[in-house]
Amino acid sequence: MLGISLLKMWHKKWMNLSLLLGCILLVATAVSFPLYQEAAYDRMLQDEFNYFLSSRGEWPAQLNMSIVSKKDKGGASISAMEELLPDVYDDFGVKEKETIYYYALQRNGIHSEMLRNDAEDLYAKLAAKTGIEDHVRMVSGEMYSQSGLTEDGAIEVVISQDCMVKQGYILGETICFDALTTYENEPLRLYIKGVFDKSDEGDFYWMEKQGELNEVCFMNMDLFRSMFTGEKAGGFSINCYYYAMFDYNSLKASDMGRISNMMDYYLYDSDYSSVIDSPLLAELIEDYNNKHSRISATLIILQIPVLIMLAAFLLMISGQMYEMERNEISVIKSRGSSRAQIFRMYLFQGVVLVIGGAALGIPLGMAMSRLLGAARNFLIFDFSEKLAVRFTPFAAIYAGGAMLLGLVCLTVPAIRHSRVSIVNLKQQKALKKKSFWEKIFLDVICIAIAGYGYYNFRRNSASMAESVLTGKALDPLLYLSSSLMIIGLGLLFLRLQPLILKLIFTIGKKRWKPAAFVSFMENVKNGRKQQLIMLFLIMTVSLGMYHSAVARTIVENTIRNTDYKDGCDLVLKEVWTAITDSNGAATGGYVVPDMEKYVSADFIDSYTKVINLDSAKVTGVQGGDVNVRLMGINTKEFGRITYVDKRLLGKHYYEYLNELAVSENGLIVSSNFRDKLGLKVGDTISYSVSNVGSASGVIIDFIDYFPAYAPETMTQKPDGTVDTEANYIVIGHYDYMSGKLGQVPYEIWASLKKNADENAIYDWIRENDVRLTKYINRVKDLDDARSDPLLQGTNGVLTMGFVVTLLLCGVGYLIYWIMALKERELVFGVLRASGFHKKELFHMLINEQIFCGLFSILAGFGIGKLTSFLFVPILQKAYATTDQILPMTLITNQWDLIRLIAVIVTMMTACLAFLTVMLFRMNVAKALKLGEE
Amino acid sequence: MSNNVIEVQNVSRAFPVPGGEFWALKKINAEVPEGSFVILKGRSGSGKTTLLNLICTLDKPTEGIIKIDGTDVSTLSDYEKEEMRRSKMGFVFQSVSLIPSLNAFQNVEFSMRMAGIKPGRERDARVEECLRLVGLGNRMTHMPAEMSGGEQQRVAIARALAHKPRLLLADEPTAELDSAMAARVAQLFGEMSKKEGISILMTTHDVGLMGAADFLIELENGERIDDRKEKESGSES
Repeated sequence: MLGISLLKMWHKKWMNLSLLLGCILLVATAVSFPLYQEAAYDRMLQDEFNYFLSSRGEWPAQLNMSIVSKKDKGGASISAMEELLPDVYDDFGVKEKETIYYYALQRNGIHSEMLRNDAEDLYAKLAAKTGIEDHVRMVSGEMYSQSGLTEDGAIEVVISQDCMVKQGYILGETICFDALTTYENEPLRLYIKGVFDKSDEGDFYWMEKQGELNEVCFMNMDLFRSMFTGEKAGGFSINCYYYAMFDYNSLKASDMGRISNMMDYYLYDSDYSSVIDSPLLAELIEDYNNKHSRISATLIILQIPVLIMLAAFLLMISGQMYEMERNEISVIKSRGSSRAQIFRMYLFQGVVLVIGGAALGIPLGMAMSRLLGAARNFLIFDFSEKLAVRFTPFAAIYAGGAMLLGLVCLTVPAIRHSRVSIVNLKQQKALKKKSFWEKIFLDVICIAIAGYGYYNFRRNSASMAESVLTGKALDPLLYLSSSLMIIGLGLLFLRLQPLILKLIFTIGKKRWKPAAFVSFMENVKNGRKQQLIMLFLIMTVSLGMYHSAVARTIVENTIRNTDYKDGCDLVLKEVWTAITDSNGAATGGYVVPDMEKYVSADFIDSYTKVINLDSAKVTGVQGGDVNVRLMGINTKEFGRITYVDKRLLGKHYYEYLNELAVSENGLIVSSNFRDKLGLKVGDTISYSVSNVGSASGVIIDFIDYFPAYAPETMTQKPDGTVDTEANYIVIGHYDYMSGKLGQVPYEIWASLKKNADENAIYDWIRENDVRLTKYINRVKDLDDARSDPLLQGTNGVLTMGFVVTLLLCGVGYLIYWIMALKERELVFGVLRASGFHKKELFHMLINEQIFCGLFSILAGFGIGKLTSFLFVPILQKAYATTDQILPMTLITNQWDLIRLIAVIVTMMTACLAFLTVMLFRMNVAKALKLGEE
Repeated sequence: MSNNVIEVQNVSRAFPVPGGEFWALKKINAEVPEGSFVILKGRSGSGKTTLLNLICTLDKPTEGIIKIDGTDVSTLSDYEKEEMRRSKMGFVFQSVSLIPSLNAFQNVEFSMRMAGIKPGRERDARVEECLRLVGLGNRMTHMPAEMSGGEQQRVAIARALAHKPRLLLADEPTAELDSAMAARVAQLFGEMSKKEGISILMTTHDVGLMGAADFLIELENGERIDDRKEKESGSES
């Protein structure tokens, strides 16, 4: 039986190659999603660690333990801790970066053995810290020796430079504790052997705060242990600190579950829970888990249509195979083979194909996920940053699932077909049946469900936005609705297409040239066979359009929002020191920062002073004072470095600035303020800044949006609900305001030169010793926004989904047509023998491609457009954040469409070229012999 | 000899086989006069179909000349050959060769479309006439899948005749028919050749049909083995 199966496979090698290709794609796609996701999470995790590292300045992956061992009999608690530490790494399953033991005796009075003039009381902490040699640079003197003792028995210590300055120690002097003695009651004498400085200012080995090292003298750790711990521990009070630093670079996303569990165990359930602490890591884990669950929920939803299409693809191909093998199966059946035998034959064939598919599909899937990782926007790749893809157990589960699905698709139809004997077959062939979906009106059902979903989401869009903001994942039904809409409309088109075709055909019924005539008739009579491949094409195109619109919209909206929120390229606000009188009371004035440095900063293109206070008040209105943001600007300079899209304003942004420019005490006020107080142009309002002064002005216009102004703030309350609060803004002249109000701290708003380097800004800040209370850098913020994992992951999965569907579509289309043409080989032979020209044959092929391919593609465009229009505005809410200010708008890019068309046209042309060659190379005489046997 | 529709002069055809060549036809001479019904007889592998393929210009002889209506076909381009096939020739194949997506009427009409015959009442009338001629006047709207093998083959014959070709080539058209039906087809060919003036060349190995032909050409192992006498007797009966 196996031999027959293999022989059979060899005889139909082309068909089996197609099926193998299908299996390869199925496994590759199924595997690439988890591979990509894991790799993306790995990257996200590392980003998270790096972010915590840079923003908090502490090693983000460490456990801190501290105990105070007071008169610890036998040193049991210290040795317990020392034994625990190496186990921590094993328990967490992480590599050790550095383990730090830090012991310090309590602060005690000390005096120099030398005669010194300073009568000040001196205090010192005698301590030992492992690894200190590797983290210091000796400024003078030397590190303590191996023995740690001088010849006369004093303990060699090293001290920090700060300590030396603060305490006035001298290198080489010996100091002696006033009261503290050794266990044996000998005096405790320290010899200052060296002075060190931290070898690197940003070294995470040094967790001590500024000034904490001022009284610490470090001695040899081994010596410390032998003198103060173990049996001798009972005599001392020792502060013990233990730091287990994990090497987070080797941590993977898949480790996080285990680490999270271990954290919980150590922090809450273990015997040591009271002495262990890890605030940063705990926070990081929580942060990461939140992001992870939100992203994975979203990404899984986005993958569903692709996986559905994959299964449909395999069913289509295997259906095509059984269609061609029907004769054979029914003949075997009629000759007495049992159904089980037939099924076993196909099962064997399926197993061979599926194993082959996995062997080639997994490497392909890994390559595909690397491609995914390079997606920056829809169909836009950036290979400069490579994604590290590795095969995970999770991916293996996916691969297994895909193999099983493949096997089911390849063998289950055999059960149905094995029931049919040659007699039934002949009868069946004579019947024309309506497709199942047509009979149950699946198209109408899909559209109805999607329509209901659309209506529902439209109605509840506010509460949906809220649930997303509170960290919940996107409602799967929403994405499902849009997919159902696409499927429903696609099926509806399939229902209508034959009618349209029939209409065109009837118009010129008698006049159609032979090629057109055959094509029409073929499509009218056998169009149903093409439905699946047409649905495939429709879905590929419409999903492509829809996905590109989703990706484009969320990315561009995020960028626009960041752009607007920041206001301009660079916003700096220095610390303004209040001038005080001799009694220390504020005089109301400030030391004005030096402005010269801004002129000399070579990364600044132009800059302007801006009064921007969020705690001003409008006074003398109904219902008491109202908090407003007060902005004072120099209209000309301000206009040069800021911009607001006209679509947000109703008229050009500069028109507002021009109006303001010609009115000395004019004010532009936010529209929501007008609505709140019923203001109108020409009204006079007074505003005041506490501790500074007050002024008044005349309203000359109202505005909805102004650079960096958020009309509403959404805040998440502790109970998880979202609060929306209105913000008001009053904009006037800088000169007028500063003249009337007196000295007001201002901000510097600047535009940057092209290619201005962020590091140059930092250098400039350091060199000029600028102390800032506000720093906004738009380029950096935009970078951060673009590299947000949710955004990147969405782009990746959507692009991936499109690439896969396109690939499937291309391969499926080709396979379908090869098989369809093979099936009609005899007819082509007859046509050629009867004198059909090659040109006519080509026309026929083109016609059929138009009926099947072009029609579907056009329908796909229409459906994609409609679905984007309906669903993107809802879907994008899933990507909303609390700092979203601008209204989200549907954004489509002409280039996306052109790229999509280009890819599809290329695919179709390739198919057509292949089919043309195949058709032209057909041996007519041989084709005619087909039925001879 | 201008009234010969087909002239075959010293035609040989060799196929490459492992280790040399196989001569499927060896120095064949034959002609088919206008309006005659000729049977090409021989066992399987005797070279019948090879000769037929050469005559219908789907294949080229290794040696020798084939003339259709006095024109040496080797001088024609592929396009001209195709034009000749669609206007001057009609074909009936051994296997059922109807276009499955067209009904009986449309299948017959299709060969007229191919021959460039203008649409209109005359064309429709001719289609109906041909279908009635083969006894299928009442099944014009039936699809091939709804007809028996013999009925389909008769539609194929009607199709081959509809555009009034000069020459009808039939390759084992009766192979899948029962003997009564086969005899009717042969008889039909004989009548058509007289009535419509169409020259018909039909291959068969069915000896029961020989009587219907004007004369026979018999092949064996690629050589012509019949003689003039046989032809005479064939035409008399």
